[in-house]
Amino acid sequence: MKFNDKVPIYYQIKQYVYQEIILGHLKAGQKLPAIRQLAVTLTVNVNTIQRALSELTTEGIIITQRGKGNFVTSDTQLLQALKKRIVTEQFSELYDKMLALKITPAEMVQYLKNYIDQRKEVQHD
Amino acid sequence: MTEVLQIKNLTYKLNLVSILDDLTCTIPAGSIVGLLGANGAGKTTLMRLISGVAKGFHGEINVNQQTSVVNRKQQISFSHQLDGSDRRARLAQIVHDYTLLYPDFSATQFQQLADFLELDLHQRLSKLSKGNRNKFIVALTLARQVPLYLLDEPFDGIDVMSRKKIIASILKWKSETATILISDHHVNDIANLLDAVVIVKDKHVVAQEQADTIREKYGESIEDYYENLYTGGENDD
Repeated sequence: MKFNDKVPIYYQIKQYVYQEIILGHLKAGQKLPAIRQLAVTLTVNVNTIQRALSELTTEGIIITQRGKGNFVTSDTQLLQALKKRIVTEQFSELYDKMLALKITPAEMVQYLKNYIDQRKEVQHD
Repeated sequence: MTEVLQIKNLTYKLNLVSILDDLTCTIPAGSIVGLLGANGAGKTTLMRLISGVAKGFHGEINVNQQTSVVNRKQQISFSHQLDGSDRRARLAQIVHDYTLLYPDFSATQFQQLADFLELDLHQRLSKLSKGNRNKFIVALTLARQVPLYLLDEPFDGIDVMSRKKIIASILKWKSETATILISDHHVNDIANLLDAVVIVKDKHVVAQEQADTIREKYGESIEDYYENLYTGGENDD
């Protein structure tokens, strides 16, 4: 995994776990690899992995079972809320950037529609 | 977190030339810390002083509550550059010497490290490539069971694959409570590995900061942060 060297590593690991969950590579209730294994795979410090996992545990995304390891929560509602949150985060960033360019919400919808159509055409070609 | 290393007002002169002046820093237990500084900033000297190889300083060096040289040496595994070893000796012979020299040397762990790093112990020391020599030194250093490891430029002049192997071996074999201090002048090589950095410049520690704090608070890479401290200082002169 390539890290952005200007963004905290633990934060990037959290985003990576979110992504793996949303993509379904990590399923509800699935066991995560051991912390040390994750550290070696991602070439980061064990403490960094631990910090990311402890924040994910606080958020309820990861459940720690003593002596058994770390698991993705089986609470599907929570996982759906996670997806919604991640998508909303992306849109909120986009919205702020558009707003900074003095583009009205109505225009944003139009721009987005046009853009999606454009992408569709590119894919069809 | 408890501290494994505490240095207070360390001043060191060699032949009347001041090398380190009023250096103070503390290293928490269980972390991997990068000791950064330009060539000649005093990184190696600092490691030699911590490990007790170099003597005759002013100030205080406290390793795991031990201050005397004899007791400190038992707490530390310092990556020797094998300058004292017979160049014609086979690696297996040097390993054997280590088991006799250090009661805390784990032959089992050394074997695991050597297998992982693909070292051929029948070879002679003088026949090793730079990469294999560094791998051998890292394996010897990490095989001792101590609270503090000092790795002096383990990635100096070696290829990418050897570097990756050495980094993986550090991550695999470092026990949770052990602390590793790694000196390097190529920060990017090891940036993702580090909990924190200690930057040495002008004979003392100019900055000590958590790696993710640098990224979070300043939005900078470790390398930029380190370079700014160096070039920023020159502008002040």
